[in-house]
Amino acid sequence: MNVTAATPEFELLNAETHGHLRLCRRDDDAPHFVQIVAGEFAAAAACCPILLSKDATTGSFYAGAMFGFRPGESFVADVVARSGFHPLSLQRDGFFISGADIAIDRSCPRFSDTEGEPLFDEARQPSVGLRSIQRALGQLHAGIKQTNGFIGALAELKLIEPIDVTLDFYGNEHLMLQGLYTVSLDSIHELDDAAVLRLFRTGYLQLAYTMNASLRQIRILAQLRDRLLRRIASAKAAARASAPAAASASAGDNRAESVR
Amino acid sequence: MIVGGGTAGWLTAGVIAAKHRHRMSAGFSVTLVESPTTPIIGVGEGTWPTLRTTLARIGVSETEFIRHCDAAFKQGARFARWTTGAADDYYYHPLMYPQNFSQLNLAPHWLAGGNGHSFCDAVCPQGRICDDGLAPKTITTAEYDAIANYAYHLDAGKFAPFLQQHCCAKLGVHHVLADVRRVNVHEDGDLRSLDTEQAGEIEGDLFVDCTGFKALLIGEALGVPFKDCGDVLFCDAALAVQVPYENETSPIASNTLSTAQSAGWIWDIGLPTRRGVGYVYSTRHTSDDAAERELRGYLAGAGKDRPVRKISIRSGHREIFWKRNCVAIGLSAGFLEPLEASAIVLIEMSAKLVAEQMPACREVMDVIASRFNATTHYRWGRIIDFLKLHYVLTQREDSAFWRDNRLPETVPERLRNLLLLWRHQSPWYHDEFDRIEEVFPAASYQYVLYGMGFRTEVDPGTLAGDAGGAERAMRENLAHTERLRAGLPRHRDLIRRIHEQGLQPV
Repeated sequence: MNVTAATPEFELLNAETHGHLRLCRRDDDAPHFVQIVAGEFAAAAACCPILLSKDATTGSFYAGAMFGFRPGESFVADVVARSGFHPLSLQRDGFFISGADIAIDRSCPRFSDTEGEPLFDEARQPSVGLRSIQRALGQLHAGIKQTNGFIGALAELKLIEPIDVTLDFYGNEHLMLQGLYTVSLDSIHELDDAAVLRLFRTGYLQLAYTMNASLRQIRILAQLRDRLLRRIASAKAAARASAPAAASASAGDNRAESVR
Repeated sequence: MIVGGGTAGWLTAGVIAAKHRHRMSAGFSVTLVESPTTPIIGVGEGTWPTLRTTLARIGVSETEFIRHCDAAFKQGARFARWTTGAADDYYYHPLMYPQNFSQLNLAPHWLAGGNGHSFCDAVCPQGRICDDGLAPKTITTAEYDAIANYAYHLDAGKFAPFLQQHCCAKLGVHHVLADVRRVNVHEDGDLRSLDTEQAGEIEGDLFVDCTGFKALLIGEALGVPFKDCGDVLFCDAALAVQVPYENETSPIASNTLSTAQSAGWIWDIGLPTRRGVGYVYSTRHTSDDAAERELRGYLAGAGKDRPVRKISIRSGHREIFWKRNCVAIGLSAGFLEPLEASAIVLIEMSAKLVAEQMPACREVMDVIASRFNATTHYRWGRIIDFLKLHYVLTQREDSAFWRDNRLPETVPERLRNLLLLWRHQSPWYHDEFDRIEEVFPAASYQYVLYGMGFRTEVDPGTLAGDAGGAERAMRENLAHTERLRAGLPRHRDLIRRIHEQGLQPV
């Protein structure tokens, strides 16, 4: 994840040019796997699984919170509503650090001239929303460094292991999740005392256990999805029973689309 | 006690030391004695997929290996001009098995109908991947894991020092730099010790001869004769040259390129830093000067200021490989032209066999030696057969070299019988090549046979039952091919990324 602006097309944010700009909430097209930093682990683990995945361009590991099992299928909105955990990287979507300034990617669909909360108030001062994005950016910037230190330590001690997740859902649907990794508790238990002490003192041991404990959230997330599939199926069946066939099928299909 | 520090010596040391590392504290030791003055020959820059398992087992990081040995990925070999000699005559011997190979033999189905594709393209994606210059994996694939099966091309001159470093630093191998002056033999015929110039007398229980063509122990000290097979494989010389790339973004081929010439063939191997090119030829069929002209013609001006190095080849192997308490691994055991990159794989297989069968005491050593000899003899025989297969299937009439290669008296009897059999049934999964560690699986024979236009007669009645399954398998292969072509990175891009960022071990 880039926190610093690498692309020259990004615009430096300022009240003159962007005084009119507004910010929408867009939870419906949120990703199903969101990069998070070490400082977010405790809050994340209380509501979703934390796993490691590999960056497609560099092959290096990053930590992410899982909000769904397939692209285009995310329970972010439910999780935020239920737990209040809103990942920093989603909060600052479209905003980047550029030296001492903030840059924005105008192509990001969050930005609008008409809808949402304004970025600047009438006195051309940053709005409450923008100020919290500034904070999120700062936390992310520092957090990524710390998280990379944590992941580097895991890799060095050979504590990362791939995890195969196979899930069965209503309607005979099987999902196999690939490309996910976690911390191996067996390998932690085989470490010598000096390594354990080092992990403890750096705070990494706590993070490792938090990650591991969050794995039970996979089951909870799966139940959430399963319940949704069942609701959609029974809504379809009810619609089919009570209304003309053509109309009910289209209503049911639309709802099915939103999970897939 | 390993004598000789080339690829064979250090690979053997690594394999044995890794397997027995937990016995080191109880007195088990691996010592490698190496002359500080003898240069390393550095056979072969081509390897087999087995090397991935071997390196993983001795605990080497693939990222480090690729960085330090200038390694690139190899996904098989493309054989050009072997069948007819025409400019567009080529086929692939890939490293992936045909689709559903363990359940279904696609060869007769392809022979009966084909689907407009070459045999390789009809049953496996790898030829197309190589045509596109793509890597066999991505930067997110773990070390030693593959999306498409692969081996390596490597700089042999860097491989031995890389292994040495690992063996000494991580695996506890004792390294003695000394010239062997005399090999001392017991009265009963066992080897006892080595007198060395710099390190005095060194004793050992089991000696591994990795002294190269010199065969200091197995040949000179124990007198095991060499079995020449120049009557089957005619090539007896090679001219090698290293050619730079046009620029540092030039594509790297992810397969060996083997192009038939008037009296042999030219290998062309792409490393990240340079190409290694060489002409393997028969001095009975051409002269050194004519061979160099042909090689320069092939290079078409590339590397014209680079010197050509001549290497003499004596094709053949020891009559036995393990005698008394001495086993030969590497060039001391034998050498065959590098047509199928068999040198390093034979080292790996022999080292593994020694490591796994490590005699517990002298009394059982002869039993193990005779097993080792039977297995190793079988392997050399199968490699010779397989290399000869490339020559007997040619239809070229343009030079005596190709015509002579088809003379029945130059073809081993076992291969002659198989070729007769294959006229009526195609080689498959478990017939004929049924050893647990078979050198070439039946799939390899299929790729060469049907790549070179060999026809097996097919009775349509025998195919009917499987026709649907075969059609589906070939369709799946084409879909799989397109998915891989869309998803795999360019070979040079992945190598660069591995140098910059590295692959993850998991």
